[in-house]
Amino acid sequence: MFLQQLINGLTLGSTYSLLAIGFTLVLGLLQMLNIAHGDVFMIGAFLGLTFSLLGMPLYLALILAMIGAGLLAVIIERLCFRPLRKAHFLMPLLSTIAFGILLQNVATQMWGSEPSRYPQTMEIAQFHLGSVQISSIDIIILVVSLGFMIGIDLFVRKTRFGRAMRATSEKPQTASILGVDVNMVIIVTFFASGALAGIAGVLTALVYLQITPFIGIRQGLIGMVAMVIGGVGSLRGAMIGGLMIGIIEIMNDAYFTASYRDIILFGLFFVFIVFKPEGLFGAKER
Amino acid sequence: MSVYMQGIVALMGVNILMALSVYAMITTDQVSLGNAGFMAIGAYASAYLTVKVGMPILPALLSGAFLSFIIGIGVGIPALRLEGLYLVMATFGFGEVVRTFFLNFEPTGGAYGFRGPMGTTLLLIYGWVFSMVLLFWLLSHSRMGRSLDAVRDDPEVASSIGLNVTLLKLGTFGLGAFIAGAAGGLYAHYMFYIESNNFNILVSSMAILYVILGGMYTFWGAILGAVIFSILPELLRFMADWRLSFYGAILVVMIILRPYGIITRPMVKWVENWIGGLFTRTGP
Repeated sequence: MFLQQLINGLTLGSTYSLLAIGFTLVLGLLQMLNIAHGDVFMIGAFLGLTFSLLGMPLYLALILAMIGAGLLAVIIERLCFRPLRKAHFLMPLLSTIAFGILLQNVATQMWGSEPSRYPQTMEIAQFHLGSVQISSIDIIILVVSLGFMIGIDLFVRKTRFGRAMRATSEKPQTASILGVDVNMVIIVTFFASGALAGIAGVLTALVYLQITPFIGIRQGLIGMVAMVIGGVGSLRGAMIGGLMIGIIEIMNDAYFTASYRDIILFGLFFVFIVFKPEGLFGAKER
Repeated sequence: MSVYMQGIVALMGVNILMALSVYAMITTDQVSLGNAGFMAIGAYASAYLTVKVGMPILPALLSGAFLSFIIGIGVGIPALRLEGLYLVMATFGFGEVVRTFFLNFEPTGGAYGFRGPMGTTLLLIYGWVFSMVLLFWLLSHSRMGRSLDAVRDDPEVASSIGLNVTLLKLGTFGLGAFIAGAAGGLYAHYMFYIESNNFNILVSSMAILYVILGGMYTFWGAILGAVIFSILPELLRFMADWRLSFYGAILVVMIILRPYGIITRPMVKWVENWIGGLFTRTGP
């Protein structure tokens, strides 16, 4: 029973991790929050749905949804962040809130506000390992999200471009003097954050089977919670934070009352921000 | 006035109060994304008092606002440690805790919402608005107002000239919570029905937006922002289903075009001088 819940928690948590990574990439680079991030996740889920309805296999729908969501994040950067780079830090926060309203409304017009059923494009197999039951969807979610987490971690740590990203988040002006194309770094970072949110959207839709234009609101907020608990600006912190939140949520539902879930999560978030703002793994001083 | 118009004007008054509640906190550089939480506390507390206890509306509103003030001080003390984006995120977390609390709190209806509060009139709403405007006007022309400016511009210098920065920050945070609580009470007794989702993150965001887009350095900006953004959605009704898309787009464009707000302090100064000049001008 406990092991089963642990696996469920990791599956759920890995989608939160993908969202938290997107938040932390942008926050680490620009010190600004992208509130529309949850809505990029939602659009990713709907793109996956649309491509699946066209009869595409899951991997193709996933890749296309990922690219679409990534491009959407680049548009958000262009519209809501770049014109406001020197403005008060609240301005991009507000412009992304407004952009999120716009995305939710556009999605409502395109796909309706009623829950849309996610088409099944593959056979679901159930595997039994002792008392633990794990479905092929769980395995896909875990493999895909862990794969992308390791991928982005290697990309940021080991590649030349990753070094440029780290340099830019440390000191944008110095990085620029040293020949880093800061605008390019920002665009790639936003693309990566959106792409990860898009993947998370499709994967989450596979589990819940029904999606609405408003699923991004809570998921986005939870992604933010995961980022803070893991440590703002820390990639690995965001990954572990997401997994932790997933496990806490599932354990709470299994052994406690589901209705107190969000009070616990947001309460934890408040306590962390006030008393441990650097999170579990963040090294930076606030 | 038609019922439709009355509804717009009433909600505009509530929005003005919400804008002023954010403005009160911003006077000492504290940005809260959780004022919908204070609004919810005031709304549920006062509604409980009028519906279940049978208290008259005015004392109930004051009690709700006072409870919100107390909780505001409770949140404001740990919030003193935070600034900028971290304070925004912490207050947002607080707002969500309050919202999910009322979603599950059975004595005030839980997920079914709370039915029955009534008695808000336009006069009552605008009485509150007028009192608060008077308060901020007096504040902006007083020594206290300058102290608050000093705290906002440079807390270290402010404390070095002997201002109690902690007390001023806590006081304005509490005042903001009080005003939001009153706005919530008025809202509840106007709508006859409240549910936790009436106090979601969008309400907190809009309250900040009124202040920022109206102009965050003078309370006139907060008021103007609330007025414009209460009327704008109504003017967009002809767009039917696409209304919210258009609204969102207008907001994005306005933020890009006027990142420092519509009304700035020099503008207020200029208008005051201009009005003053009308009376003192001599010669050709």
